Amino acid sequence: MISRAKKVSDYKELNTTLPVTRYVDPETIYINLTNNRCKTYELNVEKGDYIRVAQIIGERSGGFFKQPIYSTVSGTVGETVKKHDGTGVEAEFITVKNDFKDELCRNVVDRPDSVIDAFTQADFVNIVKEKSIIGLGGSGFPTYIKLDTKEKINTVVVNAVECEPYLTSDYRLIKDTPEPVIKGLIYAMKALNAPEGVIAIKKTKIPLIEVLERELKRFKEYNIRLAKLEDYYPQGWEIETFKNAVGITVPIGELPMKYGIIGFNVSTCAAIYEAVKHNMPVVKRHFTINGDAINFPQNYRVRVGTNVRDLIKLSDGYVDDAKQINFISGGPMMGVSMPTDDIVITPTTTSILVLKSTDYKEEPCVRCASCVYSCPAGLQPVQIMNAVKRNDKTALANLEAKNCIECGLCAYVCTSKIHVTDYVRQGKQLLG
Amino acid sequence: MEIVKKTSPHLRRPNARVVRMMRDVTIALMPLVVFAIINHGLNAVFILLAAVLSMVLTEYVYYQIQDLKAGNGFTFKNKHCTIYNFSVITSGLIYGLTLPDQTPITVVIIGGVVGVFLAKLIFGGMGQNIFNIAAFARVFVVLSFGAAVGYSQFVDANAGATALGILNRNIVDANVTNSYALMTMFTGIGLPGSLGETSAMLILVGGIYLLLRRSFDVVVPLTYIGTVFVLSCAVMISQGIGFWYPMTHLLSGGLIFGAVFMATDPITSPVTRPGRIYFAFGIGVITFFIRLFGNLPEGVVFAILIMNMFVPAIDYAKWSHQKFNLRRLSIFSVVIALTILITIVGVNYAG
Repeated sequence: MISRAKKVSDYKELNTTLPVTRYVDPETIYINLTNNRCKTYELNVEKGDYIRVAQIIGERSGGFFKQPIYSTVSGTVGETVKKHDGTGVEAEFITVKNDFKDELCRNVVDRPDSVIDAFTQADFVNIVKEKSIIGLGGSGFPTYIKLDTKEKINTVVVNAVECEPYLTSDYRLIKDTPEPVIKGLIYAMKALNAPEGVIAIKKTKIPLIEVLERELKRFKEYNIRLAKLEDYYPQGWEIETFKNAVGITVPIGELPMKYGIIGFNVSTCAAIYEAVKHNMPVVKRHFTINGDAINFPQNYRVRVGTNVRDLIKLSDGYVDDAKQINFISGGPMMGVSMPTDDIVITPTTTSILVLKSTDYKEEPCVRCASCVYSCPAGLQPVQIMNAVKRNDKTALANLEAKNCIECGLCAYVCTSKIHVTDYVRQGKQLLG
Repeated sequence: MEIVKKTSPHLRRPNARVVRMMRDVTIALMPLVVFAIINHGLNAVFILLAAVLSMVLTEYVYYQIQDLKAGNGFTFKNKHCTIYNFSVITSGLIYGLTLPDQTPITVVIIGGVVGVFLAKLIFGGMGQNIFNIAAFARVFVVLSFGAAVGYSQFVDANAGATALGILNRNIVDANVTNSYALMTMFTGIGLPGSLGETSAMLILVGGIYLLLRRSFDVVVPLTYIGTVFVLSCAVMISQGIGFWYPMTHLLSGGLIFGAVFMATDPITSPVTRPGRIYFAFGIGVITFFIRLFGNLPEGVVFAILIMNMFVPAIDYAKWSHQKFNLRRLSIFSVVIALTILITIVGVNYAG
């Protein structure tokens, strides 16, 4: 097969039609104290203390920013434990015993619209910073840093493409609750004083387009339009989305803000709305469990801090005939393989995929160049692979291996089933 | 049940398999095989069998010796053999189909053995070869046994020459259309020539099958045939001769066969789309120049081998690029214009 991969089989049929299950609260909630961007933390509660939902229990700090740690449950504080989070790294968590009362912290009060209307950019930035909103699509980048840009922003783009196969959590979020998403976008537009808002979505997701079009009629005073994009992978890559939705090509490695454009994930938008309007941090999120090795694929609305094992149990466990499984956090193309299923859902964990493990038999490369035709970053993966085998750094620099976004298409299309993406990753490491 | 750690991506394209690609080429060759057998009878059967078997067995023996030397012991099945993914069968069939029907069997076998050994095995087997195996074997036969290889039947006034033979002697000989009608050259019925190269129609059927299955890169044959067409049109206009001239060039010799089955061999072509276009353009120009100015009536296999040598240069990391841009396109256009100019000037002096 010598051709560009236009479409990746997406296996979403089942999960898009399933309604979201509100998961019964677990007994124990794990609240992440560290994550991949913040390595140190300070706690201001002790074992045995009673905490409420949305209460600040400490502060974690990364290299150049700090964010408060919020409780997502009401109950009693327990031990500090080490567990894996959705990025596959071991992080520290504090256990909280759920009292199932869901008592809200006293300072959580709704803001009236009149107050919000008078907000300036600094006010929005402060709220988002204070509620520790981060990129919920998986990046985990603090949203306030993006909102705090000094550049003139013309367009705010909501990335609702969700091009990874199997994943449906953003899909269900828009289908069930489109209003927070649109209002979050409006707040972002207000904060940045941007004249235009764009919701970028695949044109094949017709039910979502219907929902959004109906909903947008209520917000006619704002200049928000839907950008219906072609269905191919990796349409959800920021640069690709911007190019097709707004028509601006941002060079790889440059900040889109310089070009008057900024992008947020759907869940991030909804989180911005929750933070600004209801004064709430991210307490719950949409979560997909899917894959061919799980008995009941399902979308859940889970409390942040739930252990995935509880959800697996609720999805009726793994299929019987699966001897070896891959446990993946994120999508099948870019997701991270987990060493264990004992994973805690943090705000940035979007989904868990359980796939039967297949060992592909590698054959010699036949230079069919499907990878070259498919690479969205304009690279030549097969040449990079050969340069890595030769340990040829000059060639790697000439081939611009550092521009790789690890979308996984080169390995996906490979006729010889070679894991090309791995070689390109090695190439990036060689370049340093 | 056990959790295995792997690196992303965790999905693979279902239809992407080497076997599928190579098997498709074999299937696309089948109409030609049948046509050759109908036309040439048992001769064709023997030549094709000898071509395929000599290649398969050489490879088998080679890998068995390699395994024995590595101390792996003898097993009848050898996992290195590319017979399992049709690669060597494809090479053998293409090689056999390029041979004239009167080729002695010993010559076929020697060509096959030498071809697969020198062009494929000593380079490191499948995926490592620089030269197209079939083209290499064919050239070896032409250069070593030129006198023994000949066309037998359909003797006409020009004593068994193909249309290109006539054209090679006199660039603009209108006599060629008297000998061969274009329709005959398209269907290939009753035409002298190699076993599988005569029927443009059946080759195109195979090509369309490969295109539908996406088992070859259609850019290569299109550019190749297009180049020859444009250059011969340039000659046609400058010499004021009829449209039969470019059509004769397209339909005769191994041009379409080479374009569809030999130039498209992915292993011996560049990996970028612009690279493949330069590559096919180069083959087209060299083929046409050999036909026009060279000593040989037929240049397809030579052109393919010559351009095979330039593949690493085309793929050189410093200038190879995934897509065309304005600069690359304009330079390439200048090269095309210059080539046409050289052709016209050359024909005026050589003609």
